[in-house]
Amino acid sequence: MLFSGKGGVGKTVMSSSFALSCARRGEKTLLMQLNVKDKAASLFGTEEIDTEIREVRENLYAVNVSPKAAMKEYALMVLKIKLIYRAVFENRVVSSFLKVIPGLNELVMLGKAYYHVGEEDEEGQPVWDKVVVDAPATGHGIFLLKIPSVITGLIGSGLMFEEARRIVELLQDPKRTALALVTLAEEMPVNETLMLSDVVNKEIGLHVACVIANGLYPRLFTDEEIQWMDELGPSVADPVGGLVEAARFRRTRGAMQERYLQKLRDDGSWPVVEMPFLFFEELETAVLEELASLLERTLKSTEARSVG
Amino acid sequence: MEVNPHREFQELLERRSIVICVGSGGVGKTTTSAILALQAALAGQKVLVLTIDPARRLANSLGIDAIGSQRQQVPLERFAELRLSPRGELWAMMLDMKESFDRLVERDAPDEESMRAILDNPFYQYFSTSLAGSQEYAASERIYEFAQEEYFDLIVLDTPPTTHALDFLEAPRRLADAVSSRALQWMYRPTILAGKPGRGILSVGTSYVMRTLGKFTGGELLQDLTTFLKAFSVLFEGFEARARAVQTLLTGDTGFVVVTAPDQLSVDEALYFHEQLDQETLHVDGFVVNRVHPRWVMDAEKIDPGELRQALEELSPATSAESLSQRLLMNALDFERRSNQDARSIGTMKESLPETMPIVEVPYFNQDIHSLGGLDQARREIFSGFT
Repeated sequence: MLFSGKGGVGKTVMSSSFALSCARRGEKTLLMQLNVKDKAASLFGTEEIDTEIREVRENLYAVNVSPKAAMKEYALMVLKIKLIYRAVFENRVVSSFLKVIPGLNELVMLGKAYYHVGEEDEEGQPVWDKVVVDAPATGHGIFLLKIPSVITGLIGSGLMFEEARRIVELLQDPKRTALALVTLAEEMPVNETLMLSDVVNKEIGLHVACVIANGLYPRLFTDEEIQWMDELGPSVADPVGGLVEAARFRRTRGAMQERYLQKLRDDGSWPVVEMPFLFFEELETAVLEELASLLERTLKSTEARSVG
Repeated sequence: MEVNPHREFQELLERRSIVICVGSGGVGKTTTSAILALQAALAGQKVLVLTIDPARRLANSLGIDAIGSQRQQVPLERFAELRLSPRGELWAMMLDMKESFDRLVERDAPDEESMRAILDNPFYQYFSTSLAGSQEYAASERIYEFAQEEYFDLIVLDTPPTTHALDFLEAPRRLADAVSSRALQWMYRPTILAGKPGRGILSVGTSYVMRTLGKFTGGELLQDLTTFLKAFSVLFEGFEARARAVQTLLTGDTGFVVVTAPDQLSVDEALYFHEQLDQETLHVDGFVVNRVHPRWVMDAEKIDPGELRQALEELSPATSAESLSQRLLMNALDFERRSNQDARSIGTMKESLPETMPIVEVPYFNQDIHSLGGLDQARREIFSGFT
């Protein structure tokens, strides 16, 4: 399960909540951040998550993939002998050369996700029930997801080619891979989501499973009430004056969100998952727990609606 | 001495010839860049704002159809509507990375043949916008050109969203490494890889290293890439000197403004940016915190529901005061929690930064900024007292 979308829309919080909801259902879940400043640790209240997979909850594991570590893991898996790895890959010239092979970093990070999707234990059972990837925002996200097909287009042999070909197959298989696009119901994020969906569909052949409209203000006031408040004017004494201002703010923002939510529904072919804004005071694990439950419920009802 | 952050922001525009806005995605970098540029133009400077996003609404709000890859002057009539009369000039331009890079190739290629060799290379076509910092390199080259031209008093740059603030600065260096003769020489004359005698496994021999590497990449890739880098390296005659000049420009007369949202995760990231810039002894001139929730009501939990109901009944006998008063309070409490969380993370931010660091807050408006009026409203917050 991949998550992308415009920057600042809540991708990390959504992917973490989703991973948490899977883990709570009893699925052994791996949450992958791709070479970013680690944010999942503060969400789960754990120590910094680095390149070693670590357990953050029952059934829930997290890792922050670095291209260098992923490359090493991969190379060692193929080469078997550490000494050879060091001779070849840690050679100064080679490593400066590897740095400039375009897209190699992205490929090895996807390769690591691919490996875990198919990873089996000694009895041949899958190790992971779910692999959740917090993918980069739009621009870099597209680049990342395109890399395998670009590589298979450019070259026709070698391990890198084989690896890229297998990743393309995985990405294009809707039974194994789904992409969730996270957005806010605002102009720029919605436009970017529509563009992103179009690109991944046409150019990568990746299935957009749903769009998550995040941060929607639950509606509290009727139109009549708002009209009444609008007519009150600015001269009303506090606390009523301040309360009314706050109510009008919520309604104005809310109305704008409804317009862009409608645009998402009209212009896209995927189910739109509506996630309410939680007015929390501190983003702590309890908030994540609540979001995980909400997400699970909303996903179910959205699915029921789109099937029905 | 108490720092007036609004004054500091005003002064940084006068002091700097380049201001670079950095920050993670979705925090309002593009808008903030436009506001800084607007303020400087009003004060009489000739300003160019370079943006990365194809922000059409922003273009429209500035009175131009679209921000294109050619600089365009923002028509002055637009300001009259707001009773503003800029004494300077405001120009806007979108930095199209692919085009900037093509330009670079066209300009620096020694002849038609080598130019075509690069432009037609499949690697170039796929990767000219992502090859090891090429985007950032093209951007810094462009800024350098404008700085050389000396027409503008101030250039404001809106950077691509990234988690690594320094990508921009390291780009020239990394690109230099990429095409450095040493890596290339190895491709032509693999013997240097064998290293000095007596270095253990290294002496096993280059062909082995090459074969092993080739197993990963496929032989063709190594071949194609070599051809590409070889063609590309022609561009970088004198590249090092140029990279140094760009570096000097960015570390000298350039100020960085960190843009952030007030939530915890964004603030953490903003501080991380600051740390990185600081380590490189670059000048972080200030922080802009966008979308800070206003405090409409103080201590909503202390409001007496009975009194509130009564007040509402007096204002409008027709409304169902009981239920409305409850919801008004609930809403106020909702936003009070947000505003507390903003205050808390901004507090953490202040503690982690030097006391003298100017920090300005822009409130969360009831609609998104996409008109000149909206820009002006936010401008008055950042430069409060200096508008």
